[in-house]
Amino acid sequence: MKKALLNFFERIEPDKAKSPLLHTAYDAFFTFAFTPDTVTAKGVHIRDGMDLKRTMVTVVVALQLLYVFGTYNIGNQHFHALGMYTGTFEAIHLKIFYGLVKILPIFVVTHVVGLGVEFYYAAKKGHAVEEGFLVSGALIPLIMPPDIPLWILSVAIIFAVVIGKEAFGGTGMNILNIALLARVFVFFAYPTYISGDEVWIAGIEKVGAGAYAGQEYGGIYGILDSIFGSFGWATFGEGKQAVVDGFTGATPLGLAAKGGWAAVTEHYTVSDMWWGHIPGSIGETSKPLILLGALMLVFTKVADWRIMVSAIVGFVACGLMINGIAPDTFGPETDGIFKFMAVPWYYHFYMGSFFFAMAFMATDPVTGASTATGKWIYGFFIGFIGLIIRILNPAYPEGWMLAILFMNVFAPLIDHYVFEANVNRRAKRQAALAKARGEQ
Amino acid sequence: MGEFINIFIKSAFIENMVLAYFLGMCSYLAVSKSVNTAFGLGLAVIFVLGVTMPINWLINEYLLSETGLFGQDLTFLRFILFIAVIASMVQLVEMVVEKFSPALYSALGIFLPLITVNCAILGGSLFMVSREYNLSNSIAFGLGGGFGWFLAIIAIAAIREKIRYSDVPPALRGLGMAFILTGLMGIAFMSLMGIDPAVFAGPK
Repeated sequence: MKKALLNFFERIEPDKAKSPLLHTAYDAFFTFAFTPDTVTAKGVHIRDGMDLKRTMVTVVVALQLLYVFGTYNIGNQHFHALGMYTGTFEAIHLKIFYGLVKILPIFVVTHVVGLGVEFYYAAKKGHAVEEGFLVSGALIPLIMPPDIPLWILSVAIIFAVVIGKEAFGGTGMNILNIALLARVFVFFAYPTYISGDEVWIAGIEKVGAGAYAGQEYGGIYGILDSIFGSFGWATFGEGKQAVVDGFTGATPLGLAAKGGWAAVTEHYTVSDMWWGHIPGSIGETSKPLILLGALMLVFTKVADWRIMVSAIVGFVACGLMINGIAPDTFGPETDGIFKFMAVPWYYHFYMGSFFFAMAFMATDPVTGASTATGKWIYGFFIGFIGLIIRILNPAYPEGWMLAILFMNVFAPLIDHYVFEANVNRRAKRQAALAKARGEQ
Repeated sequence: MGEFINIFIKSAFIENMVLAYFLGMCSYLAVSKSVNTAFGLGLAVIFVLGVTMPINWLINEYLLSETGLFGQDLTFLRFILFIAVIASMVQLVEMVVEKFSPALYSALGIFLPLITVNCAILGGSLFMVSREYNLSNSIAFGLGGGFGWFLAIIAIAAIREKIRYSDVPPALRGLGMAFILTGLMGIAFMSLMGIDPAVFAGPK
């Protein structure tokens, strides 16, 4: 099997001189399938003799469970909003296929556009294609809302890869996290598609002021229906159903920002939030699966535990501080922000995307601090600033994306001063030693 | 005291002089090649902003306004007087730096006297007038604005030291990269925009 594959690859290898673009593409897929005998030699993230691609693939593997759950949850949230199939496993084939119809185009467009840009630059600069986009490409679909228009996604990815990475000289040289840069671009340039209450559940259309209905199923859903029908399973049907009473589509954080914890528990139970049966970006909702992926990254030493631990420490410190200054009693006219401030800090773990950001975004070895002490400082401030943005900044629903970008900017500065302190300490120690020797 | 801290935080992080208003770009782009010089220039800007702001406030309030010493509306003299105060403060800083840190003095070169025309500083004084700050507010605004400028310049200097080893496309090396970086840092600083530090004081 392995030999046959290798033979096949050798047979189809294009001529490098005649068609550089084709050879670049070939090289990329070859090294994906086989470990090449060359190791990555350049870039700031080199830590051992492992090829960079293996590091990246580990992250991609850690994300797979989130893809599975995210696909299911897109469908689950869609049918939940319509009041159909409310059981967890009820009509699971409909939920999964509905999710696939949403997530596959996002996934494909992300990779075609992102890798297209990478291939273009690789061919133009005349080096093998760099692996950097593997991880970004796996992360980007997970942090987008399920209904994101594909052209916006493409524009964002081109911006992130060209301005955020290629301008800095390619993989391993970027200052800001590519996946977050793509998301922040959508966030500021097309805010109606990525924030607010109406974007997090797929296939729910607004049909008037405060009135919503399900989407019309047709095309691909009709084909799926005829397949499911032949097995005698439940089918999508016509669509256009009414949503359940009191539907708003709001995420737990959106509710908490208006009415505090009481408003959240009206709509969602704690176990729903913990297991991820809530609306949100595709991959951010299920906390246990994220923690599983995080543990995998820690055990394979791909991600640094220091950043994760210090981010939690910063999170708790900031939560305690904000709880401390929040008022105890509310009048009828109290602003929502004070109710939000009074939400106990440990409940904040259930809402939003803290774990996802901490495990997969903050630990990016390229854009984070690279010294051990620096990592503690870097992670602490991510936790601290992120919660400040989440609670105290009414303009943004969630803070981790912006907090991580904010600290990405300061990571080189933190490293600089950690290095300098280290140099000074060693110089002092050497001076003391020399003095001791001189006196003997 | 609460208001003092409020204005300090706001002017340093939320309405950062460089990354939100894009003021003071000239020396920000020119002197941010190494962290140590950027650090020195940043301190000089904090000092100049922190000192000129209250002096300008006093001038504006007691010399130029109609209720002031001359009893006439002399606000058309505002620019000249503000710049004069700033220039004299910068002269002071220049002498101090030359005396105590000749290495920094030569590293900063022309950009040390050019703090005078750093628009963050004159801009700060004019913001102070248009926002009708009182004396303690203007001290907080001066120190906070200076601190924000200081943070921005040492952050970009550290990044520029780091990307010196990167394979930046030739057309972008130097200032081109600095502009792209400033834009990206501006995106990152948008994270804090919109926070109202007044919530720390609790509901009204």
